[in-house]
Amino acid sequence: MAISTEKLTHILQSFVTSTTDIQGAAVVTPDGLPLAASLPGGMDEERVSAMSAAMLSLGDRIGSELARGGIDRIYVEGDKGYGILTSCGEDAVFLVLADKAAKQGLLLLEIKRTLSDLKAVLM
Amino acid sequence: MSLEPTEFMSKMVSRTGFSADDKKILQDTAAWGLEIAPEMADYFYDYMGRDAEMSAILNESEGRIHRLRETFVSWFHEMFTGMDSWGGDYADRRWRIGLIHVRIGIGPQHVVPAMAVVVHEAGKRAQADGKDQQLCDALSKICMVDLAFIEQAYIEVSSAAVLRETGWSESLFKRLVATGAAAM
Repeated sequence: MAISTEKLTHILQSFVTSTTDIQGAAVVTPDGLPLAASLPGGMDEERVSAMSAAMLSLGDRIGSELARGGIDRIYVEGDKGYGILTSCGEDAVFLVLADKAAKQGLLLLEIKRTLSDLKAVLM
Repeated sequence: MSLEPTEFMSKMVSRTGFSADDKKILQDTAAWGLEIAPEMADYFYDYMGRDAEMSAILNESEGRIHRLRETFVSWFHEMFTGMDSWGGDYADRRWRIGLIHVRIGIGPQHVVPAMAVVVHEAGKRAQADGKDQQLCDALSKICMVDLAFIEQAYIEVSSAAVLRETGWSESLFKRLVATGAAAM
């Protein structure tokens, strides 16, 4: 069955608008191609996609080299907020951009929920 | 991202228009090629040696410059003989020569102008010896094919190292290079 980009976009938009302190989200392929995105204005979807895939892949490599096992997610914490990369099955990477004020527990829970929705569409 | 030498050779031969006539004229003058090879090696390494960075690399170990010079003479002669008619053996040897350049740190920025000097001097010598212009054209083409191997070796070795260390796929790497280049 073909992947519905409309459904993916809808899931992302609803995640971004309904979750507190979320600024943007994207689903990309492991090769860095965008599948769907809801990003803040001014962010280049192509660049964000390539960067996201590169980071998760590098994280996997680091996890393996440093004997950390399989990597669940990668956090980038800056003074303006977070970038969280989570593997979304073998065929996709889920990127979430959150405000510095975001509550970690809530954020992870929402990511987990959204991941299962995304996986259902990607399967 | 691993280069297949014969396939690459075939692409380069096609792109440079290196023809059966070019092969014939080179093979017919192979003895002349061997005769002038030491002189061309002098031009090549004299030019390279004028650069301080290259001079340091060429003279880094005992006898390196001597071995490189010998390799140059064989390499130059092989452009005329074509080894196995510019087939798999020729391509493999060119690929290995490219890898040696990468290993010892002689980059395209040094080889390209030095090769231009060789092509120029070989052309002058051909004219002085009453050789046909077609010989110079054929030699220029095969020189460019060989140069492409050296340049490609740098790209392949660098890319392979990045892919191995990062776990990135080849298409992701190409995408990152393209987006990076667009942002420069």
